[in-house]
Amino acid sequence: MVKRIGVYVCECGNNIADNVDIDKIIKTFSRMRNVGIVEKHRLLCSEDGKEFLKQSIKQHGLTHLVVAACSPKQHEQTFMNVCTAAGLNPYLFQMTNIREQVAWVTQDKEEATDKAIREIAAAIARVAYQEALEKRDIDVSPNVLVIGGGIAGIRATRVLASPNRKVHLVEKSSSLGGKVKGFDKLFTKMESGPALIDNELSSVKGDENVEIFTDSEVEQILGFFGNFEIKVVNKATSEARDLNVGAVVLATGFDLMNLEGLPRYGYGKLEDVYTSLEFEEMCVPGGPTGGNILLKNGKPPRSVAIIHCVGREDKGYCSKVCCVYSLKFARMLKDKLPGVKASQLYSDLCVPGKVYQRFYEETKGLGVEFIRAEKTDVTRNGQGITVSYESKSGPKGDLAADMVILVPAMEPANDTHRFGEMLGIPVDSEGFLAQEHQKLAPVASSVEGVFVVGCAQGPKSILESIVQSEAAAGKILSALVPGRKLELEVKTSEISETFCTGCKTCISVCPYSAISFDDFRNIAVVNEALCHGCGVCAAACPSGAARVKNFAFTQIYQEVEAILR
Amino acid sequence: MQNDKEGISVLVIGAGIAGIESSLLLANSGAKVYLVEKASYFGGNVIKWEEVFPNMECATCMIAPKQQEVLQSKNIELLTLSEVEAVEGSAGDFAVKLKKKARYVNLDNCIGCNECFGPCPVEVGNEFEEGLSKRKAIYIPCAGALPNAPVIDTDNCLRFKGGDCQLCREACAFEAIDYTQQDEQLELHVGAIVVATGFKTFDLAQVPQYGYKKLNNVYSMVEVERLCASNGPTQGQIVLRNGEAPKSAAILHCVGRDEKGYCSSVCCMASIKQAHFLKNKIPELKIVQLYSDLCVPGRVYQRFYEEVKESGVDFIRARVNEVTQKGMGVAIKYNTESGQEDTLNVDMLILAPALEPRADSARLSEILAIPLDRHGFFGEKEPDLDSVDTTREGVFIAGCAQSPKDVPDTVAEAEATVGRILALSR
Repeated sequence: MVKRIGVYVCECGNNIADNVDIDKIIKTFSRMRNVGIVEKHRLLCSEDGKEFLKQSIKQHGLTHLVVAACSPKQHEQTFMNVCTAAGLNPYLFQMTNIREQVAWVTQDKEEATDKAIREIAAAIARVAYQEALEKRDIDVSPNVLVIGGGIAGIRATRVLASPNRKVHLVEKSSSLGGKVKGFDKLFTKMESGPALIDNELSSVKGDENVEIFTDSEVEQILGFFGNFEIKVVNKATSEARDLNVGAVVLATGFDLMNLEGLPRYGYGKLEDVYTSLEFEEMCVPGGPTGGNILLKNGKPPRSVAIIHCVGREDKGYCSKVCCVYSLKFARMLKDKLPGVKASQLYSDLCVPGKVYQRFYEETKGLGVEFIRAEKTDVTRNGQGITVSYESKSGPKGDLAADMVILVPAMEPANDTHRFGEMLGIPVDSEGFLAQEHQKLAPVASSVEGVFVVGCAQGPKSILESIVQSEAAAGKILSALVPGRKLELEVKTSEISETFCTGCKTCISVCPYSAISFDDFRNIAVVNEALCHGCGVCAAACPSGAARVKNFAFTQIYQEVEAILR
Repeated sequence: MQNDKEGISVLVIGAGIAGIESSLLLANSGAKVYLVEKASYFGGNVIKWEEVFPNMECATCMIAPKQQEVLQSKNIELLTLSEVEAVEGSAGDFAVKLKKKARYVNLDNCIGCNECFGPCPVEVGNEFEEGLSKRKAIYIPCAGALPNAPVIDTDNCLRFKGGDCQLCREACAFEAIDYTQQDEQLELHVGAIVVATGFKTFDLAQVPQYGYKKLNNVYSMVEVERLCASNGPTQGQIVLRNGEAPKSAAILHCVGRDEKGYCSSVCCMASIKQAHFLKNKIPELKIVQLYSDLCVPGRVYQRFYEEVKESGVDFIRARVNEVTQKGMGVAIKYNTESGQEDTLNVDMLILAPALEPRADSARLSEILAIPLDRHGFFGEKEPDLDSVDTTREGVFIAGCAQSPKDVPDTVAEAEATVGRILALSR
């Protein structure tokens, strides 16, 4: 096919014209092979400039377009739109930046002109090898699978379910409500956990758009954003169900760290040493002690020591909510046993935000003792318990207590990593599921359409878990609009069947789990619905089979050769 | 809620990272978004930070692609220099009155070449740079600010003070400068409102014992952020006011915490980040962190603290009593945790101030008829349980307008407002 490449140089008022000899550029390229026309314009991005460009593309029957102007960040889309309006495929267009990267930074006009000529030559060389690409879209399911029936999963379900969007909520235990259901009081307003759960559930249970699976496990998640195929199995009946959903919310929650490896706290050996969750259980009216705080001997404790940060050093992170719930424990103690002596042994008081410090001050005002202790040891001493404590900068001492409540680090629930493996989501060194971006995408995972909320991605308060659930709902409602198709990335990767040797290197490096292996043909296959066109596979492929559309070796080599010529 | 085929319309107040995130998600769903920003540029506080904890990513590079998306979105109308004046109606049908101040620069014509600054004869302190550098009366606050177009500061422009200077207009090749522009009154109809007005830092004049603005080498953390910034007044050089590099520095945490009565949640991490940054720039710099309790919550932050500590940054639990001039630097008198008195002499003292609500929050709360809490932040409907809902249906809050928080929590809240709005509007 005859190529007629149009080259347009923008003067950008005086911004480029002052420091680059544009007439010399025009002279350089006007007789070049494949170049149909070289023209300049005072301001190509203006309405007048865009119209000129559109007419010129049509008039000269151009097959490819090069625009030398400002940064593509500013106007690449503008000129792609002009291409479309002129009937030229916008992927047969290459923009080159001779303003920010040339006119504004290269002082000498001759040098700047030479640099601009090289950049434009490179763009011409490359564009001749570019291919016309088309945008494509696929049908998607608006439905959502929520895994985990705790507060985070319930809230996500509540916000997402609607007449045109079904939500399937899967919980492995026999009832919904998660950990919160077992908390008699919640910080900071000391309201009831079960009441909160009941209230949340009242709008979920009975909603015909919500299907609840209890005693059930998700055994399989295949597919991609918009089209996941799920298998849910009821553990009691072994009955399996297949579901098709567009997105998945993982809300699998937390467990407490196992304290077996930390003998100095006496847990499991000494009587009247409890974990925080055991203490919560003791406080629930329907619990084993009928809601009474009692020692093993059946008497109420006269003194209780609450030890913060148990396992923090071993885990290497702060579990964020323990300080505040330890304050809550002190209040529950003072409420049920007004005369009790409550002591907090803490290392750093972590009460972030506008609410918690006041809660701390009020708790302290109730006569709760605060002792700085970076290291504590718990031993039995006759009838009572001795807590020996020390800190680098503060005092050392021994504290006598009838009861000890240990506040262990939070860790991801034990099946979290299973979902990481099933979905290809990286799990960090602490076992939590990684986010797509720590700052900017706090609830998205690296797999598009899969969201991680609540304690599955790090210790969190109830409030933060709720916010994250609503955030995931926001992302899903924004992207999966019923009746709307999903537009796919255009510049995706492709793997040549001829050249692929089946080494699977690309599969191991793909950050989006977009490549799978075809066992029958013995080649790697790209799922274009998942591919973001990042090019990692093309860089890693030892046989040159993987390439990104419009970033093929020919295009890049042509570009580089022309710039170095 | 307004829910025709076009989708809902939403007003987002404040174009920082929270407002941007809400707007982009809403626009993607098909909603029409009016993103209102008081300043002449958008991006909020985050674009002032050179790098953000804990991965030390360049903040402007992180947020610029999102800003470009806003500028290119067909569904988002960015209204800079604009403020909300009145809100009437109810969820699904709010009538909003806005005042859009004149920029005196036509955004359609301006290409952001900055040729107009040079001839302007006026020089005043640049607020964006905490006064550490000068700007003209026609200016952009910093290199890379978006939209890439200047604004005329009518308080200082000679022409607006009665003169007949028109040097900027003469310098403009695109007839972008228009002295006849007028402030506009706009009226919008929206179904929901997101308040994302962010924070400001505690006024250090309220804690005179630390010597801010009285002693030469006492800095606020924001000033140091700008010193660290490659697009800042010193192009990223860490120098004292006399032009020399400091040999020692102290960072004092929790400044204003007692006065405010809350922990600002991000200052420990920001202080550790600055130490890391300063140490990178000046490896032999001796840095001490003076703190009371280390707040590094969650699975990631503590590791960053440990790394910085291991790089040779000292951490001392201290209660600072007084800061005085000592030679070219300052002497910091403090009590250790065990009550001992001690003194630390350093070249540079950096104060980490509390975060507090924007000064105009009270006015906005009246206009929106949603209450402020005891600290002046926007109040949520159910503290502890709903941080994005307010007592007025259809009005939501996100980010530091509600309480001090870090970027990921801010982004999550912004996304949560979208969840609430789209769930209500279907």
